[in-house]
Amino acid sequence: EPVLSKGNNCLDAAKACNLNDTCKRFRSAYITPCTSSTSNEICNKRKCHKALRLFFDKVPPKHSYGMLFCSCRDVACTERRRQTIVPVCSYEDREKPNCLNLQESCKKNYICRSRLADFFTNCQPESRSVSSCLKENYADCLLAYSGLIGTVMTPNYIDSSSLSVAPWCDCSNSGNDIDECLKFLNFFQDNTCLKNAIQAFGNGTDVNVW
Amino acid sequence: GRRNHRGKNRGCVLTELHLNVTDLDLGYETKEELIFRYCSGSCDAAETTYDKILKNLTKKKKLVNDKVRQACCRPTAFDDDLSFLDDNLVYHILKKHSAKRCGCV
Repeated sequence: EPVLSKGNNCLDAAKACNLNDTCKRFRSAYITPCTSSTSNEICNKRKCHKALRLFFDKVPPKHSYGMLFCSCRDVACTERRRQTIVPVCSYEDREKPNCLNLQESCKKNYICRSRLADFFTNCQPESRSVSSCLKENYADCLLAYSGLIGTVMTPNYIDSSSLSVAPWCDCSNSGNDIDECLKFLNFFQDNTCLKNAIQAFGNGTDVNVW
Repeated sequence: GRRNHRGKNRGCVLTELHLNVTDLDLGYETKEELIFRYCSGSCDAAETTYDKILKNLTKKKKLVNDKVRQACCRPTAFDDDLSFLDDNLVYHILKKHSAKRCGCV
């Protein structure tokens, strides 16, 4: 029994993308480098990242978010959603670096540095606000999150049962910095502002995104 | 879209169909869809001097073998690549699968 058998929101978003000339073009433009193996690597990660950044820069959110933030009720759907960014190339690596080391590499690149700062600003949780976000703006949080895709801080869904996301890193070997590392990682993994923003988009309940 | 209204061969036009990828019978298992565009129509009116000469020689039965073909309505440019995820979570890319412009060539 194939994994993807029934229809779902993520499939509908993929269909809608291929029926739109812009989305179709920029989707193929990243699928190509992200799935082409080179002589000694699974893909050219740099080219894959660049094409992913272009996809999220050029394609209207209706289509790009449609595929990235689609709401799911089964594994067929969540697996398709997890595959959106071609994680085997854009996300996974042979080794998982420490998150604080990854943050250091991110800060050396101006695109990554500014987009990570946007993410921490715009997806800042606030338990006392109705939206759970300090900025009360889901669209800005989703924009900042999707802006990280195609940087060394590229995040993705970590399992098929929740909206938990993380960059490709962990907090092993953190030494005295363990608290700081966990705080960084949990901003991705356990962020109610980001989760609510993704949910609101998936359910079509946040009018500001459109 | 109906294009190519300028030339003599107005019959040769681009037509589009909304299909499932599986309708293409290329062996893929997926639920994804696409717009397929193809060229069709007549190319009877001679386009070039070459075509005119062929027509004249055919009439006079001066051709050694008469397998020479008149112009056909074919794609002169192809649509952008199409990518899709199959039922086993493998990506595929189709190139030169759909027409973008048509001409009598």
